[in-house]
Amino acid sequence: MINEYLPYPAVVESIRNESFDTKTFKVVFEDKKLAGSFDYKPGQFVQLSLLGTGEAPISITSSPCRRGFLEFTIRAAGRLTRALHQLKPSDRTHIRGPYGNSFPFEQVKGKDLYFIAGGIGLPPLRSLINSVFDRREEFGKIKILYGAKTPDELCFKDELKSWQKITDTELLLTVDNPDEHWQGNVGVVTTLWHNTDMSTSNGVAYVCGPPVMIRFVIMELLRSGFKDENIYISLERYMKCGIGKCGHCNIGAKFVCVDGPVFSYSQIQQLPDKDKALAV
Amino acid sequence: MKEKLLKKDNVKALCAKTCKEWETYAPVREMGQDVQFVKINGGEKKGALDKLDLDYESLLICPKAIGFPQLESLFEFQNGKIKETVQPRTKKLLFGLRACDLKAILFVDEFFKRNFEDIYYLNRSANRLLVLVGCTHPPRDCFCTSTKTGPFLPVNLDAESDFDLQMVDIGDAYLVETGSKKGEEFAERYKEFFDKAPEESISQSKKAKLAAEEAVNLKVDFDKAIKNFCEDKFPKEIYERIAERCIYCGGCLYVCPTCTCFNVFDEKKDQAGRRRRNWDACVFEGYTREASGHNPRREKWLRAARRYEHKLKYDYLTTGMSGCVGCGRCLATCPVNIGISQVIEEAAKL
Repeated sequence: MINEYLPYPAVVESIRNESFDTKTFKVVFEDKKLAGSFDYKPGQFVQLSLLGTGEAPISITSSPCRRGFLEFTIRAAGRLTRALHQLKPSDRTHIRGPYGNSFPFEQVKGKDLYFIAGGIGLPPLRSLINSVFDRREEFGKIKILYGAKTPDELCFKDELKSWQKITDTELLLTVDNPDEHWQGNVGVVTTLWHNTDMSTSNGVAYVCGPPVMIRFVIMELLRSGFKDENIYISLERYMKCGIGKCGHCNIGAKFVCVDGPVFSYSQIQQLPDKDKALAV
Repeated sequence: MKEKLLKKDNVKALCAKTCKEWETYAPVREMGQDVQFVKINGGEKKGALDKLDLDYESLLICPKAIGFPQLESLFEFQNGKIKETVQPRTKKLLFGLRACDLKAILFVDEFFKRNFEDIYYLNRSANRLLVLVGCTHPPRDCFCTSTKTGPFLPVNLDAESDFDLQMVDIGDAYLVETGSKKGEEFAERYKEFFDKAPEESISQSKKAKLAAEEAVNLKVDFDKAIKNFCEDKFPKEIYERIAERCIYCGGCLYVCPTCTCFNVFDEKKDQAGRRRRNWDACVFEGYTREASGHNPRREKWLRAARRYEHKLKYDYLTTGMSGCVGCGRCLATCPVNIGISQVIEEAAKL
């Protein structure tokens, strides 16, 4: 029997500042065999530990087609994530996983893909976006709609520029509060609907962001013709174990950690209203 | 099935002997009259055997704690190196369980086997013998005849029963029914303590079982309540009424024999420490609060709804067995007199 609660040591190789409160950590398992064999799918998460401080579920933002390392984009929000922000290269973390289901990938070949993210919601989608770009010709047109509170809070600023250059790919950015250099759209992510044609009948949408954003984005997607079963949402819940045991992430009879975190909008409609999968 | 007779005079001697081969857990009446289901090995000299009490009304802390303790270490660490603290798969004899608690233990077993296996629980429970002593004086708040979890469990002649041995109080002795091959081997291993069951002891035991069933006062229409919960008929207004009274102490969930939720936390001093888990309760405001402050169950009535729907709807839909075994602990413990039995009664009326 495997002890699923035991994490494995992994060293921080590099740290990149994304914004005033968000950093991306590139991490490598100390065990070389594990580093090479650790397999995951876009949308999955790990339990990331700092021994003595605790453990939290963190989505993997790197893409599984690039082996040997993992990347996590983390906002300093709670006790553990603030402690993670104190780490320096060559410091040690502990990781177990990967856990949860993933975004549908093979099943959406040939279709137009729409990614809609708010704030720290882009990191989990980035894993899928880069997997799609690695096999660009197998998919239809791609639109990425991304909003943040301020220009500083947009993650992966350099990478966003490179995404724009990829064939048949449209990147639309927006911020709530612009600074003097900002020349793009101002407003919540749904205001980007005015800037591009979102109407579709078989497009697939991937949504991740704060609950209030998800709710309004779904309304717009439905209005644009997206089918319930073609809208995929990554949900967030407080979790302690990641393996369907501690109970905290329950929604009805489901656990977000093992039955999710990715749910289609048709699945979400089957969840009890009381558990407020999408409400604020 | 071969019935045996265990004279009450032999019970202590039997337990003294089993302590040599088994970790033996049994009900012990402590100071202050509380009965605890605890390990008695090594306690023989301190009089644990003298305090053994198979006539107990109920246990405050349910015996699920033997596999899933209130607080336990998952691993220790020093200078960044982890050392596993998994429990050995020792032989455990649980002697004197009540039917409701035994059913609860089997329910918790299934939970810890599902999805990912929980090595801590499953190691502790791997080599276990369950000896049930049917409840002949049921406490006021329980309703096991309604949940079909007691006071005695059926003997399954075609397959293994839920228990290994079931004891029926017939006065000076217990009639002992075997429910499994393991139970039969146990009775054979300790045969010096068991006698052949005379014909009349079997009819006495049947009478004792019937009398025990009749002694369970509280009756609820459990099946109807479950059906109404599954059909989402339970109205928000009743949850709001519960929420007004509930003080969210979590007591009902700490004593519930089927609750499995836990919190995980680290303790550290200098460079050494350990990761531990302890029981948690879904009625707490912080149970679902995320680091961002977002909390899907901030409102009190939603937490009340979760607490009851988990047991009476989702457990049933997932496993076919409800998470309530009718032990009545929640009502007995509640400082403001709310019990799941009342909620079930309300649901059955809808």
